[in-house]
Amino acid sequence: MKPVIIFLNILLPILYFGTLSVYFYDFMRGEKKFFNAKRVLIFITLFTHIIYLFVRTSEFSHPPITNVFEIFTVLAFAITFSYFVLELVTDIRGTGPFIIIISFIFQLISSLFIQEQVVVKEVLKNNLLGSHVISALLGYSGFTISAVYGFLYLTLYKDLKKNRFGLIFNRLPNLEVLERLSFYSAIIGFILLSIAIIIGIIWLPKAFPDFSYLDPKLIGSGLVWLLYGIGILSKLLSKWKGKKLVLLSITGFLLALLSTIASNFLAHSFHSFY
Amino acid sequence: MNLFAISINHRTAPVELRESLFLSEEEVRSLIDKAKSGLLKEGLILSTCNRTELYGIPADSSLNHPLLQKFIVENKNTLKISEENFQSFISRDSLEHLFRVATGIDSLLIGDNQVYKQVKDAFRISEEMQFAGFLMKRVFNAALKAGKRAITETAISEGAVTVAYAAVQLVEKIFSNLSKKSALVIGAGETGEIAAKHLIDRGIHKLTITNRTPDKAEKLAIKLDSSFLPFDQFKNHLHNFDIIVSATSAEDILISKKDVEAAMKKRDFASMVLMDIAVPRDIDPHSKQIDYVFYHDIDSLNIIVEQNLTKRKAEIPKVQKIINEELDSFFEWYNSLQSAPTIKNLRDHFETIRTKEVEKNINKFSTEDREKLEIVTKRIINKILHHPTTELRKVNESGTGAEDAVTKIGIIRSLFGIDKNKSEEEK
Repeated sequence: MKPVIIFLNILLPILYFGTLSVYFYDFMRGEKKFFNAKRVLIFITLFTHIIYLFVRTSEFSHPPITNVFEIFTVLAFAITFSYFVLELVTDIRGTGPFIIIISFIFQLISSLFIQEQVVVKEVLKNNLLGSHVISALLGYSGFTISAVYGFLYLTLYKDLKKNRFGLIFNRLPNLEVLERLSFYSAIIGFILLSIAIIIGIIWLPKAFPDFSYLDPKLIGSGLVWLLYGIGILSKLLSKWKGKKLVLLSITGFLLALLSTIASNFLAHSFHSFY
Repeated sequence: MNLFAISINHRTAPVELRESLFLSEEEVRSLIDKAKSGLLKEGLILSTCNRTELYGIPADSSLNHPLLQKFIVENKNTLKISEENFQSFISRDSLEHLFRVATGIDSLLIGDNQVYKQVKDAFRISEEMQFAGFLMKRVFNAALKAGKRAITETAISEGAVTVAYAAVQLVEKIFSNLSKKSALVIGAGETGEIAAKHLIDRGIHKLTITNRTPDKAEKLAIKLDSSFLPFDQFKNHLHNFDIIVSATSAEDILISKKDVEAAMKKRDFASMVLMDIAVPRDIDPHSKQIDYVFYHDIDSLNIIVEQNLTKRKAEIPKVQKIINEELDSFFEWYNSLQSAPTIKNLRDHFETIRTKEVEKNINKFSTEDREKLEIVTKRIINKILHHPTTELRKVNESGTGAEDAVTKIGIIRSLFGIDKNKSEEEK
């Protein structure tokens, strides 16, 4: 099984790069030459990735969530999978390169540094933890996609204001669609993060009897959850819209990123397992 | 192929001359009647705001281009037009010109797909007037095929190439669904009307028109089945509109930044698009500084128009390739319309049928009768084909005109399905 894992570990960044290149070419040229081919390619990439995740789980007897590079490969999968579903539902295909590039970066880092981890801490061998991590990662994928659409919204908004009618103007969907995509992705992210937090609250006292609610990871995640919650509520109550909302989404994403970095690499947190 | 064509268009004549030769549908029909009496056997007349063209198969060998030009000019009494104002074509060149027109690459606005519809309409009139015979039907079907291929296989007609349409394209980059939006058009002139029509075409939910002269606005509102707003009141209602298109000939600014600010406050800063397509401008350009106000004037719209025109120009080689393919395909068919190959094809066709039928039924005959069966069936086929073969030979020798021969041969080929059978065999 190990040679298969090694082979797929090398193949995945290549597949992500290939998919990214086709999406990028299509975006730049706008000839619709690879209109259907790119969808097939993204499917092949995701299919290969899911096989990789299963093989890895089976070989090392634990889901790939025990170290940061395993998390990165799951994150790459979750982001592309979420985008793929969004593309199928909305049939908006012009925004792919901006999202797949993130998956490519995560997968590349993961493929370069991932190691065989056979022995894992006892605390990580728990089904509740698996559900907690998977829902959290899918939630963060939603926030990532929401932030990308938010960024694209701001870019197009600026171009329209300044009479710049280049690639962004010609290829991206309209402002209302970008705002909607950003908002829906944020809602999905928020729901999944809420599930992750609930599972975490249930599991935490069992796993770490002496944990503290002032832990940087818990504070960071709580702030992210609160920020998106406020944004979603404001939008639903028609208080916030447009630029304000997408800026909030981008801020939420940056906060999530900072909180992860802080809790894993800078501060001492019970949430850091590696 | 003896196909004559003359064309007066934007490249050969100024607008006044083109206008003077413009023919209404009624005039086209009357001109076809005249052409049929001795000038042309079959043909087509195409007249649009940018071109008037006549295509036809001459009734006799004395016809030339100056005669055709004279025919069309005298009919309209426009003596100012000279020979230099016409382009003249014959044979393959006529066909190629027609294909270029149908595909939109000969248009003033490259890729204008309106002309495809106009060619189609011209052909319909010709057919109704029994002016489109066997050959011309084939010619125009080929032209329409080339036109359709250019639209579907290339981007020659993509993107807005008029300011009014570019305005609508820009609006669609801000709003996703115009069927939920309302628009105000200020100015009931030609530009305002075109912009209003484009908005209706894109499914605008509510359209309102206002104009300094109320009668004009009311008339346009009735014509477009939209609402009317008195000019002195429109400023109080700005907040009700998501899109405002202004195209008046006013000397001063009609809508100030303050007016826009007030409207935006009232609509809780929901996005508003201001399209100022008037010269001089009607809306204060500083309005663009307000959040969620998308202000565009004629200069910014012209950028889009220029970009799209450049893209369309880049598609011309692809369209030319389609034209060449369709020309080749047409002439392949046309060249098959000669007596010798047709006689051979006809005989082969009958021989194939005979052989198949004999093979199918051969077991029903005794061994000694089988030879007789061969002889008798061959004799029947020979007798059936004797008269058509003689006629086909005569057609070419009689010198009654190549187009007659082509028509007769074409009818025979189509009647017996020779081309169809040949292509099936090739497959």
